[in-house]
Amino acid sequence: MVSTTHHGRMRRLAMLWRIRRILRKGGKAARKFMPVRSPASNLIYWAVIGFLFLPLFVLVFYSFNAGRQAQWQGFSLVWYQRLVMDSPELWRAFTNSIMIAGGSALMATAIGTLAAIGTTRYSFRLRSTVATLSFIPMILPEIVVGVSLLVFFAGISLKLGLFTVWIAHTTFNIPYVYLLVSARLEESDPSIIEAAKDLGANEMQILFRIILPMALPGILSAFLTAVTLSLEDFVITFFVTGPGGTTLPLYIYSMIRFGVSPVINALSAVMVAGTVLLVYPARNFLKVFAAR
Amino acid sequence: MKQRAGFLYTLPQILWLLVFFLAPLCIIIAYSFLKKGLYGGVEPQFSLEAYQAMANPSILMVAWRTLRISVIATILTILIALPCGYSIARSSNQAIRLFLVIVPFWTNFLVRIYAWIAILGNEGFINDIIRWVAPGSAGIQFLYNQWAVVLVLVYMYLPYAILPLFSTIDKFDFTLLDAARDLGATRFQSYTRVLLPNIRSGLVTAGLFTFVPIFGAYAVPLLIGGKDSYMLGNIIADQLTKTRNWPLASAISMTVTLSTTILVFLVALRKPKEQKWVFDADPSAAMSAAGGR
Amino acid sequence: MLHGGAAVKGSDVTVSGVSKSFGAFKALKDVTLSIQKGEFFSLLGPSGCGKTTLLRLIGGFEDPDAGTIEIDGRSVLGLPPDKRHCNTVFQSYALFPHLTVFENVAFPLRIRKTPRKIIDDRVMHYLSLVQLEMHAGKKPSQLSGGQKQRVAIARALINEPSILLLDEPLSALDAKLRQHMLMELDSIHDKVGITFIYVTHDQQEALSVSDRIAVMNAGEVLQVGSPRQIYENPSTEFVARFIGETNIFAMKITGKEGVHISGKVAGIGPLLVDDETDAQVGDEALATIRPEKIRISREKPQTNGGRINIMHGVVAEPIYSGFQTKYIVRLDSGMTVTVFRQHANWSEGIPDIDWKDEVYLSFSAADMVIVERRAT
Repeated sequence: MVSTTHHGRMRRLAMLWRIRRILRKGGKAARKFMPVRSPASNLIYWAVIGFLFLPLFVLVFYSFNAGRQAQWQGFSLVWYQRLVMDSPELWRAFTNSIMIAGGSALMATAIGTLAAIGTTRYSFRLRSTVATLSFIPMILPEIVVGVSLLVFFAGISLKLGLFTVWIAHTTFNIPYVYLLVSARLEESDPSIIEAAKDLGANEMQILFRIILPMALPGILSAFLTAVTLSLEDFVITFFVTGPGGTTLPLYIYSMIRFGVSPVINALSAVMVAGTVLLVYPARNFLKVFAAR
Repeated sequence: MKQRAGFLYTLPQILWLLVFFLAPLCIIIAYSFLKKGLYGGVEPQFSLEAYQAMANPSILMVAWRTLRISVIATILTILIALPCGYSIARSSNQAIRLFLVIVPFWTNFLVRIYAWIAILGNEGFINDIIRWVAPGSAGIQFLYNQWAVVLVLVYMYLPYAILPLFSTIDKFDFTLLDAARDLGATRFQSYTRVLLPNIRSGLVTAGLFTFVPIFGAYAVPLLIGGKDSYMLGNIIADQLTKTRNWPLASAISMTVTLSTTILVFLVALRKPKEQKWVFDADPSAAMSAAGGR
Repeated sequence: MLHGGAAVKGSDVTVSGVSKSFGAFKALKDVTLSIQKGEFFSLLGPSGCGKTTLLRLIGGFEDPDAGTIEIDGRSVLGLPPDKRHCNTVFQSYALFPHLTVFENVAFPLRIRKTPRKIIDDRVMHYLSLVQLEMHAGKKPSQLSGGQKQRVAIARALINEPSILLLDEPLSALDAKLRQHMLMELDSIHDKVGITFIYVTHDQQEALSVSDRIAVMNAGEVLQVGSPRQIYENPSTEFVARFIGETNIFAMKITGKEGVHISGKVAGIGPLLVDDETDAQVGDEALATIRPEKIRISREKPQTNGGRINIMHGVVAEPIYSGFQTKYIVRLDSGMTVTVFRQHANWSEGIPDIDWKDEVYLSFSAADMVIVERRAT
């Protein structure tokens, strides 16, 4: 008897939710009828999109140029060939970048997620201090973070190289992971955890069966963000790197500074295509996953 | 029990940030008050030399230039980002429009800088077109000046401004604009008197997201700018790696850090009740483009 | 039924042949209406019927695809909202959250650079009209729903428009407050004497305050008339069903003598209707009777030769609601009829009718109305 009423209530609740969603969608659809009565802002938007894409088009265009100079001398795939066959240093830098990105994102995700759970679930004396401490690295100019780490590593006589790069990347990734996972955790309904407790789950079970699965989309997107940030970073890496610690951005930097080879055009084109082809499906997957 | 559990969860993060963030920062503070060593490094002796050296007119001039470039670039970025964010927010396919803004920023930061060199350079895309239109004309050097730096900085940080502006404008009730028009305001007045005051938090976030990184810019002035566009970031790096005056590099770093932190806290804490930190705008949206540092 | 008292100051509005589409969706199809000076005129219909679109067209927020809109005999097509002498009270109130109550109401005057002294006087005058002088310094977020509503009204009135457009202004309020605000709106209308055009989906609201009502559905105006006309003499099946509750019989006309019509309802039998209609003998027609006009009894009532319809059935569901009981009666044919029975004489020993009781329903031919067969 009890279970049937409970079941009935659940179904009614589910129905209410569906109606609410339809109503909301209806609201959005109704807004569609309202025309955008500001053609000027639309114009500026499309001009900006043109501005944002212009460099990418130029790169792809030159990557197919037969000549060494920027002037167009006919279609050729020679730079792509060079990129694949004849650039061992580039590939070493690429491998380094992947290793650093994966390694630092993993470490930062582990540390940041734990801290996010700690500060959203529990209240303790240092809570707001932790939040502030985690926030500051994000607002500091990168160059300051890079300089201070370099000075620090020199002070403790740590040899600069891949290891110091990994430490630096983990450091600047932690605040982002912490913020993203906290945001996700704060969104979730606290009564779910109370319900789990009410149903007899202990702390560990709540952590592994409720909190972590619920925060999983947030954790994954934090991990991906950390990977992206790490792959991107130039300034901080520039200061803390040493022999054997060349990442892809550093390699590109040295190409720009000391003799441009059009291989860089081909590399850029491949990276543009690669990110669009890889990141978009990954984000979409995440979105579907998160909406589940 | 609960207190200890929460603390334990956060312990790894606290330790990591203490050792690799706070400690280095403290070392910099300490170094800025020490004497510079003969071959780099420092002598353990208290001194205000570094801060006196900062009063050097050439450094003051760079500081002033850094401030000027940052302010101009930030204002330009916001002026462009505002109508963009508005147009995305009012569009019926927001997702696609946002996506188009973000895509270029999945490309590596340095690749994008290089692309601008390929566009603006002596042998670049624009000069290519000029030679094609008017054969034999001498190339025009667009690179290596302050305006090139401002242009590329605006390019780099546009999404940082567009995303928070979009997410605040999206929460704005557009019937308020109808109401303002209904009550006699012109379209322009409805924007300045109703829209802008209600998206202030978005403007603040967008301003901080662009101003702070531009103020500490290093790579863009280095690669795009010339001698006349050196910024504080470049001076710090030079003092550290070339001149090897670590106390001076530390002192400038401290000044940059303090001024940005004070700015952020001043702006962010001004209306503490109505906005949740500076991230009143959706932080995750702002960070989906976090590629473009 | 115009309200006396205040001089009539409003404008009249003529809408002729107006159509409006949003993409493939036809929001308005060839709508023609005329609204008189000083009238409290309601646009009533379900959501999506085009009533809000029509209001936005009159207010100047959209332009029609075809047709004209005239205010006081002059076309207002192409005129921006602020040049039309009408102001709008929005469904969501649309109060400016960054301004205080006073500043909200003063907004139109400040836009026009009105001198400070005049602003102060006018704003306080209109705030006192809506009884909010005490709250002038508050921000909208500190007000209750009803107070926000009153600020919106004061703000819309301060320009002294000749037409006030109200877009479902009470829909966000709870039932009790809605009743109260409705009466207040009515008294404000009496005081200012301008034309009110009121959009609502709530038939009770429309019936209780309007001078006239236009019932709309699917982009068309189905009927325009006083609340009484709309309720007592609906022109189409949709209007009959949308306003209040009703019972509808599909019949074939078997005889016609002036307004005296007799018909046959499949499975039920003969039906007498007194109404004017163009329908002829042999035509199919719909006849409707309101639930409160049907008498319910356990004994078979006498017709005494009058034109009275009598039907037999069983009470399928009695729904008690204090002041009346609603009976759903299943006729022998299987059709259900709704009947309202007032409790006026409850204590006088009238036998109670309950679930599964066999009952007779009787209603006069004169109370029946023939409606157009149009579900939409």
